Amino acid sequence: MFRVDARKAVHFCDGLTRRDFLHAGALAGLGLTLPGFLKLKAEGAVQDTDKNCIFLFLVGGPSQLDTFDPKPDAPREIRGPFKPIKTACPDIQITEIFPQVAKVADKFSIIRSMHHKGTGVHDVGHQAMQTGRIYLNGLEQPHVGCVLGFLKGSRNDLPPHVLMPRPIGNTGGNMPHGQSAGFLGKTHDPFILNADPSDPNFKVPDLLPPEYISTVRLERRKNLRDLVDQSVAQLETSEDARLLDENFHQAYSLMSSPTAREAFDLSKEPDSVRDRYGWNKFGQGCLLSRRLIERGVRFTTVNMFETVFNETTWDIHGSAPFSAIECYSDLVGPMFDQGYSALIEDLSQRGMLETTMVVAMGEFGRTPKINPAGGRDHWPQAWSVLVAGGGVEGGRVIGKTDEIGAYPSERPVTAAELVATVYHTLGVDLETELPSPGTRPVPVVDFGVKPVKELL
Amino acid sequence: MKRSLFLALLCLLTSRPAPAEIRVLPSEITLSRAGEAQRLLIEGVEGSLWTGDRTSEAEISTSDPKVARVEGGVLRAVGNGEAVLSASVEGQSATATVRVTGADSPFTWSFRNHIQPALFKMGCSTGACHGAASGKNGFRLSLRSFDHEWDHQALTRQAQGRRVSLAEPEESLILLKPTMQVPHEGGERFAQGSEPYNRLIEWIRAGAPPAREEDPRVERIEVLPPSMTLALGKPQQILVRAHYTDGHAEDVTQWVKYGTTEEGVAGVDDFGLVTVKGPGSGAITVWYASKVATVEFTVPRERAVPDEVYARAERRNFVDDLILEKLASLEIAPSGMADDETFIRRAFLDCIGTLPTPKEVFSFVSGKDPDKRSNLVNSLLERPEYVDYWAYKWSDLLLLSSKNLPQAEELNSFYRFIRESVERNKPWDQFAREILTAKGSTLENGAGAFFKMHRDITDLTETTSQAFLGMSITCARCHNHPLEKWTQDDYYGMANLLARVKLKNARMEGITEVSANSFGDVLHPRLGAPVPPRPLDGTAIPLEEPGDRREHLAKWLTAPENPYFTRAVVNRVWRNFMGRGLVEPEDDLRLTNPPSNEKLLAALAKDLAEHGYDIKRLIQVIMNSASYQRSSKPSDPEHPDDRYYSQYIIRRLPAEVLLDSFSQVTGVPTSFSGYPEGARAIQLRDSQVASYFLTAFGRPIRRQTCSCERTEDPSIAQTLHLANGATVNDKLKAENSFVTRMVEEEWSDWIIVEEIFQRALSRSPSEQERAKALEALAESPVEGSDQARREAIEDLAWAAMSSKEFLFNH
Repeated sequence: MFRVDARKAVHFCDGLTRRDFLHAGALAGLGLTLPGFLKLKAEGAVQDTDKNCIFLFLVGGPSQLDTFDPKPDAPREIRGPFKPIKTACPDIQITEIFPQVAKVADKFSIIRSMHHKGTGVHDVGHQAMQTGRIYLNGLEQPHVGCVLGFLKGSRNDLPPHVLMPRPIGNTGGNMPHGQSAGFLGKTHDPFILNADPSDPNFKVPDLLPPEYISTVRLERRKNLRDLVDQSVAQLETSEDARLLDENFHQAYSLMSSPTAREAFDLSKEPDSVRDRYGWNKFGQGCLLSRRLIERGVRFTTVNMFETVFNETTWDIHGSAPFSAIECYSDLVGPMFDQGYSALIEDLSQRGMLETTMVVAMGEFGRTPKINPAGGRDHWPQAWSVLVAGGGVEGGRVIGKTDEIGAYPSERPVTAAELVATVYHTLGVDLETELPSPGTRPVPVVDFGVKPVKELL
Repeated sequence: MKRSLFLALLCLLTSRPAPAEIRVLPSEITLSRAGEAQRLLIEGVEGSLWTGDRTSEAEISTSDPKVARVEGGVLRAVGNGEAVLSASVEGQSATATVRVTGADSPFTWSFRNHIQPALFKMGCSTGACHGAASGKNGFRLSLRSFDHEWDHQALTRQAQGRRVSLAEPEESLILLKPTMQVPHEGGERFAQGSEPYNRLIEWIRAGAPPAREEDPRVERIEVLPPSMTLALGKPQQILVRAHYTDGHAEDVTQWVKYGTTEEGVAGVDDFGLVTVKGPGSGAITVWYASKVATVEFTVPRERAVPDEVYARAERRNFVDDLILEKLASLEIAPSGMADDETFIRRAFLDCIGTLPTPKEVFSFVSGKDPDKRSNLVNSLLERPEYVDYWAYKWSDLLLLSSKNLPQAEELNSFYRFIRESVERNKPWDQFAREILTAKGSTLENGAGAFFKMHRDITDLTETTSQAFLGMSITCARCHNHPLEKWTQDDYYGMANLLARVKLKNARMEGITEVSANSFGDVLHPRLGAPVPPRPLDGTAIPLEEPGDRREHLAKWLTAPENPYFTRAVVNRVWRNFMGRGLVEPEDDLRLTNPPSNEKLLAALAKDLAEHGYDIKRLIQVIMNSASYQRSSKPSDPEHPDDRYYSQYIIRRLPAEVLLDSFSQVTGVPTSFSGYPEGARAIQLRDSQVASYFLTAFGRPIRRQTCSCERTEDPSIAQTLHLANGATVNDKLKAENSFVTRMVEEEWSDWIIVEEIFQRALSRSPSEQERAKALEALAESPVEGSDQARREAIEDLAWAAMSSKEFLFNH
């Protein structure tokens, strides 16, 4: 929901500030109610271009050489075990681990010169790619999807931003991963699925009452709560208390909303569709994203993995507890190949690709030279990201790396520029300032950062 | 006797029909060069209040036009001499003296005093333009023009000297670009022939001289009028004068950067014109040449409150006097007093983070002692939960967590230090001193872990300031603070006090030995050399001085004359009880973020310092005040007051207190991994202890010293969790839940309803609540199914515990 915060002054484009509204609420009894928000929207302070976005986070950091930036002419210890294959676009080659992705190559573009200047730690890349900033221990920056939710609110009973299946957990850096609303406050955190959508008994926890609480009991609870709430009338004068009620109201609509219930109910999808996406967390996450976006959610984030320890991921150091390079062709690659191609095809067939941006990205690339354990280590100097939909042209390659895939040799692209591209596509003015707990206004992206126009 | 004194005092303060007069501001004007201008203000005055700008209605003239002339409210020097300036409005008149000197002496604009401020005001050296760390388009100025050497160099030496052309001043890029005679990405900043243009071109014609060592410096800036009582629809111009080290003053009104602390009450434009938007109070902040000043404004509500309302309002101590004084100036009536049930619940939750039991409520409410409220406060201060709650609070401040201190012994040792300090009511200055000068093994002296957590010198410097001064000096790490007086030199002087902390691994693994080093300095990045260690605005010690530099810092920090230290802790404690800091956010004490009631913050700080930094006593002062004990019901329901303390400010319970309250009401403790059964959330030493509930409800992660880490923002995840999640539902369902007893012992409906309300809400149900609740229970009578009855009781208890009344302190 749209939340007004007393502590912070945020400037809207029309020069009003959040504090104006709050103060008007406190002293003039006006308050920024939903109609106020809609009015702002009507005045153009907030624009709804009705575009959506899906972030597919390839946790672990895929190797650029073994995925979307093959270097077949490089020496063996550089080029790795996978051969390049042709794609739907004659000029683009990717590696053989993605035969199905190759078929939809006309629908997405590849940025091959993504890089960041922070340390090569997973967490740093997670922050950079999802917030556009590296902040280590400083002020926690908000995820792009949370900013979108903050600025635009929900469309219906469904939350604006859903993260699945769970937030990224420990990846060794002990730092935040850029998956929360940060300084915007918990109100704008993503709605976290907290369950595995590929589980045959998949259900969203807390979304529905436990089975032992019948609808009759629910109704009784609600009525009794309303009864108690009438006693201390002045609670209505507190902005926070009103917001809590608003949240209860939303929670009840979510719980009782057939739309919401139906949106999260993957069993409504035909088995053939579920098969096409792949029976794993990632594939079913992609499918659930499509369902949710179709029903009004603005943004979803799918974490392919939640950690890099003792799990097979893109983090191919070659030795335990990490993964070996072969897993790209055995498990991780096919999982992505299936889920991603299914999502792009499905969105395209349903006419949703035009309005839904899909960004598939890892947090960094990997060392060009294969290490003694037969793997590759962290390498934030260059990697590849796939961008599709939402008006982004397909079939393009932006940027280039040198002959061993080590550094961008043409058109280096930063995480901030990618994030700016997402904001731009979603209709968020790049100069929009967010209210932060400090005294410094925080623009959605740093001053001067521009979208990657080659994509548009 | 006392009351009549208050009455007299109040009359003085709030009397409206004092004789109205006008004044000329400034009242004495010296102009020291030909053509120098001073903007004038003709201001209404009633008693001690400045009541509005009347310049536009005034007729103004000088006694000698050969000395100075007045045009459009601006006084301009003509020739040397003295004159009298007279102004009149509707039969009232006022005068000021004018002196002009130096009208016949040559004059050159000073780079530091005239050119740099113009570059800032025109936007050139702001962070968005050439003041950015990397400049813009190859041209970089110091941010907000703080570095005259750099800026002069950039203007006159870089870009092949094209920026400033002595041969053809008009062709200087610094004039061509901002006037858009050649393309400029930053657009048009000023026009040809405008004042900034003229300043720059005259300076260039004079040879573009650099700042000279003997140039006077800005010593302070003065804002006129000194305060403002304003009304809707009546704009007020403000004047800003810079006073220089050589004693002269100049009108810098048009070169100042303005801001307001309360956008919703009054705004200010680029030229210092203040416009009123609604009732309330706040301050206009002005920034000029790295100096800041503020001027307070007050906009009373339109409907006047009779004086006797304030005279009759309950008062217990100086807190009430100062709050009522503020309320009177704003025409806000105070709310009535909270009843006993509300008070005891509020006091328990705010002071010890614990709900009172029904028994405690009963004995308090039925007590007849007139001092029972202050007796209750005294008894709360002695309870073990007091220690839990406040140790938790200071652990938030000091960032205790196993992420920061992975070695459990070290974390426990630091926690023990904090806990014992609270238990012994250690004076706050001593507490701070012991941390900042900690020595020895972190196992024996837990306070030393502070240095282990903040190994990085900038982190240590900034955390120290944030924790103990409630002030962020981070900006000054890279450039002069744009919103405070702190300069980069101040920052590195401060940092150097902390540069000689030595950390050595002790014999036991993970334990550290803290001591003072005899060498090592932090380099000032711009100077490339260390600056003498100096606490922000304290005195420096020589670089070579032996001994532990931290002692010098601690001495300055905790000196009674250090205003920041005392105010910081007062504001933190105040916010805990009053729901809003006198300065908000609570740890953003800064000149440009003045308190909502300056006199009160000053008085509380003075009181604390005079009473040996006794935190318990401070709590007594606050809790015993009538202001703390007022109802949360607004005196004017249409216009609740969320900042001047006319009413108790409603706020959600902190995550930990809420979780403990669920446990207490249901009788089912929460289990925390690594803690004994029955441990409460406010007893956790480590913010990393896993708890979905605490995370969802905004427990701070203790990564950064900032009150912003804790959030009370509601979210849908919270409400879904309350409704459907395990925390409340499992406690209700548990075998050891109070519901089990009610069912098994076949309690009557009436007693069940009473008990649930008492346990959860510290009060009896209202008639309507009782009737409806009994109705709900009657559907599942004692003689029916135990399960059905249990469910009905659970549902009633759930409703009580998810109500706003339960979740919010009120």
